[in-house]
Amino acid sequence: MNQLVAKRTVDMEIIGDWVEPNTRVLDLGCGEGALLDFLVQQKKVSAVGVDLDFNKITACVRRGLAAYQGDLTQFLRAFPDQHFDRVICSRTVHELSNPTEVIFEALRVGRTLTVGFVNHGFWKNRVHALLHGRKIRNEVYKTEWFDSRPANPVSVADFEDFCAAKNIRIARRAHLAGNWRTPCRTLPNLLAGFALYDLAR
Amino acid sequence: MTDDFEVATATDSTPRHLAPGEVGIVSPRDFLCGEPFTFKSGQTISGFTLRYETYGRLNATRDNAVLICHALSGDHHCAGWHSAADKKPGWWNNLIGPGKAVDTNRFFVICANVLGGCQGSTGPSSLNPATGRPYGIEFPFVTIRDMVRAQKLLLDHLGVAELHGVIGGSMGGMTALLFAIEFPRFTHRVLAMATTGRESAQAIAFNEVGRQAIMQDPAWNHGDYPRDGGPRVGLAIARMMAHITYVSDASMDRKFGRKKKENAAGDAYTLDMQFEVESYLRHQGQSFINRFDANSYLYITRALDQFDLAQAHGSLESAFAPVEADTLVVGFTSDWLFPPEQNRALALALLRAGKRASYAELATDLGHDSFLLESEQLYTLVRGFLERDQLYTFDYAI
Repeated sequence: MNQLVAKRTVDMEIIGDWVEPNTRVLDLGCGEGALLDFLVQQKKVSAVGVDLDFNKITACVRRGLAAYQGDLTQFLRAFPDQHFDRVICSRTVHELSNPTEVIFEALRVGRTLTVGFVNHGFWKNRVHALLHGRKIRNEVYKTEWFDSRPANPVSVADFEDFCAAKNIRIARRAHLAGNWRTPCRTLPNLLAGFALYDLAR
Repeated sequence: MTDDFEVATATDSTPRHLAPGEVGIVSPRDFLCGEPFTFKSGQTISGFTLRYETYGRLNATRDNAVLICHALSGDHHCAGWHSAADKKPGWWNNLIGPGKAVDTNRFFVICANVLGGCQGSTGPSSLNPATGRPYGIEFPFVTIRDMVRAQKLLLDHLGVAELHGVIGGSMGGMTALLFAIEFPRFTHRVLAMATTGRESAQAIAFNEVGRQAIMQDPAWNHGDYPRDGGPRVGLAIARMMAHITYVSDASMDRKFGRKKKENAAGDAYTLDMQFEVESYLRHQGQSFINRFDANSYLYITRALDQFDLAQAHGSLESAFAPVEADTLVVGFTSDWLFPPEQNRALALALLRAGKRASYAELATDLGHDSFLLESEQLYTLVRGFLERDQLYTFDYAI
């Protein structure tokens, strides 16, 4: 497996470990449904994905997944408390225009919320900013600023501060080093490339 | 549904009906049910006829059937041509055929004219065996559920063991959803487009204007009129108005804008026809009265208005409680008759009820009739929904 594929599947493996079998899982920003497909096959979950893009919904439908095209917040508002066992928001959180609202709604409709994100505080990002003074471009940040959707990069420290300020309980966390495979046990805000959290109210 | 949405494009050499990838020349057939049929209203008829067409073949396990459900003014002729001289193919020919999104090499496709209709199925214009005259408004009130139950009898007659899928737009979407509610074990996939769980006041209002146009026409005569007569003016006006609700401001503007008829007299102060859109609507009205029965129009619009899944079952979630099918609802951004919100509400209620449901929304500017759109994106979605390998059977009911 080359590094790029490994990076694409890293959250799948960890989330796959965290997900209980035969539970109800909602994936916010499900894309083409790769993660949900994996969870359905490995954990026999009943899955629903939400995404904004018609072609992504089509890809999910072709995979046999239930998927809903529309706004995340409006979707979440349509469900009663704790309808889902787990809500997943992986590599989506930095693109939300209203992260607080989505996270709170997700914590209401799900018993657990899994958030995964690229740690913007990773030392290479800091060095890049210092040396180049430009938007970072690499295999993780693939697009030029003018080809990107508005993004709200978040770091491990930012996210932990947010959880503390909002009284959100962190039930579990996983920090991965720059290769997105080796666990990162020290100074995660500086040394972690990718971070995953299980949250509960 | 408008009837000029798709116009067959003639190819240079091969006539379209002989081209590969088309179902070709097709013939309707009649299913005669000799058993008495009791309507939801409690009224009974001694038997009925459904006119239908089929394309493709039923497989040995009798489980590859796909039922197509038509809209208010549609009929059983949804693909192919009736003769080489036919100008237009069936109304959903772009979707259905060998190798198309609804692949007739793979599926046994069935489409029937609804009970209460006027294209060969039993309805108000049929002869009442008790009197030897057309039923008129003596015909029992028809509901969408009655239409579904009658079509189920046809499917039984054809030997269909289970439905691989049921597909419909607008009223056809209601019919498709109701199949999954009434016959949950029998119905495996539901694809409902541009539809609703119940019409809004606006949609009922448009239907009422249409009905009043018909009933206020003296020739309606309380539904008692000869076959070649009847409220032709009223029915044409009903159709002209309804037609506007099937399209959109943008699509009408693109098609007609403010273009004037060639012989229109400048800025003359006249009530004669001036704009092309006027002439177009008159043509729509005139062609409609030659193929549609006014009483059927009253009955079917009433059935549409009465359809209310939430009211009939207490809530949309309880309505969907028995569903075992995988459901895909498709809304269209420019549909202002059954707008995206009403389509979304169906998918959300199914999900709340613990069912497997998907919702996709196509950005179009063609209005309600967008479900008839020639769109590769839509075809890929429909094909993906019908042909995906696995059929998961989760039920994570609340």
